[in-house]
Amino acid sequence: MACLHCYSESSPAQRAALDPIVLCDALRILRTEGYQAVSLSGGEPLVYADLRTVIKSARAMGFRVTMISNGLLVTERFADVLSLLDGIAISFDGLAASHNAMRGRADAFDRASAGLERLAAWGLPAAAAISLTRDAIPDLPDLADHLVGLGARALQIRPVAVAGRARSLAAPAVYHTADYVRLYLVVLALQQELPADIRINCDLAPAQGLWQQREAYAGLLRDRATLPLDAGPLADLVNPLVITETGVVKPIAYDFDRRFDIFSSLDSLSPDTIKDYKQRRLHGLQRLVGDALAGLRSRHDVVDWFDQCTRLSQQSSIAWPVAG
Amino acid sequence: MAPVTSRDVASRLSKRLANFKLSDAVINGLADRVMIEGLSIIRFNPCIYGICFEYHAEKMPRLDALQPKSGIYKLEVFPLGIIDWDRYLVRVAFNVDELEGKGLSRDLND
Repeated sequence: MACLHCYSESSPAQRAALDPIVLCDALRILRTEGYQAVSLSGGEPLVYADLRTVIKSARAMGFRVTMISNGLLVTERFADVLSLLDGIAISFDGLAASHNAMRGRADAFDRASAGLERLAAWGLPAAAAISLTRDAIPDLPDLADHLVGLGARALQIRPVAVAGRARSLAAPAVYHTADYVRLYLVVLALQQELPADIRINCDLAPAQGLWQQREAYAGLLRDRATLPLDAGPLADLVNPLVITETGVVKPIAYDFDRRFDIFSSLDSLSPDTIKDYKQRRLHGLQRLVGDALAGLRSRHDVVDWFDQCTRLSQQSSIAWPVAG
Repeated sequence: MAPVTSRDVASRLSKRLANFKLSDAVINGLADRVMIEGLSIIRFNPCIYGICFEYHAEKMPRLDALQPKSGIYKLEVFPLGIIDWDRYLVRVAFNVDELEGKGLSRDLND
C-alpha cells in the first residue's frame, strides 16, 4: 500500500531494506547504551524477509519488541513470527470509508479488522494504532467501540503529522489548534466510556502537564560545565531513537531535520562514534529541546510533543555539525 | 425506561465533541480554562453547570492559578490524606453555555 498520510512515504515500489546483521550489531550497541524497547514499523514489517531473525536477536539481547502492522498479512502463515512479539498494533485511520480512502484499497479496513480479531483469538497482545486526520475525528468513538469489540486491549491514538506524503493532504484533513484540543478531550471521554481494562493513550498532552514533567529531560538538559553529556548512556539523552529503512539514525522522529541526524548510516554506529556524538554534536539537540520546553511554559493548549520538536528542528536556522 | 448511566453520558459527550458540535471557539475557550498549572486532568463529565473536571495535584493546589480563569462555578479540593498524603483531588465546575443542563450527572452539588 502507499498510504496518503505515510510519514515515511513507503510503498510497494520501495525496496530499501536494512541488512539484518548490521541492524542486529547496532541493536547490541544500543542495548549497552540503555535502550530497552524496539518498535518495528514500516512500511510493513511483515514483508521484511529477515523479520524473524531480527525479533529473535533483539529479544535475546533483552529488548521488549513490538510492531505496528497494516494487518493485511496477519494470517496463519505469520502466526509463529507474531507470537515472538511483546505487542502488536494494527494501524487504523478511521472507520471503513476513511481508512480505505487513506489506504487506497476497498478491502483494507475489513482485512485490518480481521487481522486484529485473529491476533486476539490467538491470545496475542493485540492493540490498535489509530492515526486520524482532522476530518476522521468524528469516526473515533465508533471506531474505538469496533476495535475493542474485536479484541484490542489497547488503543494508541495520534493526529496525523504533516510529514512525508501527508504534506499533500487536502485542507479538511489538516489540524488547527482547536482540533488538537478536541481530539485530546475525545480521548479523555473515551477513557471514561470504555472498559477500565482497555488502555487508551494519546500522543497529545496539555502543554502545562509536559512543562511540569520537564525533569524527564534532566539528562539531556543538564549543565555541561558540571556534568559532561558523555557521562551517561545515550538512552538518557536521546529517546526515542529512529533507524530509517536506509540506516540513518535520527533523534525523536522519522522526519526530524537531517541536520540533527546522529549517524548517516548504521555502519558508522560504534561505542566510539556514540561518545563522539555526545561530546561534539549533541549540543544542537540539547538546545532545541531546551527551547521547545521553554516554549511550553506559558502555553495552555494541547501539544503533540514529538511533532512539536520535529517542526522546530525544521525551522531552526542554525547549521549544526553534520552526522558522522 | 432503562436508567441512564454515567457511561451513556460520557458516550454522548465523546460523540458531541468528535462530531464538531462544539465550535472551535468553544473548544479553545474550554482548553484555556481547563488546563490549569500544577493540575493533571483525570476525568470530566457534563454537569448541571456545563462541564465538571477532576484533577490530581501532587501538592496543595495554588488557588491563585484559578483566579484568572473565567466561568468557574464551583471548586472543591480534597486531600487524599492517609490514602496518599501528598495528593489532592480537585473538582472544578466550568460554565459552558453549549453544554449547560445537558449533562445528567451532578458531581458538584449545591
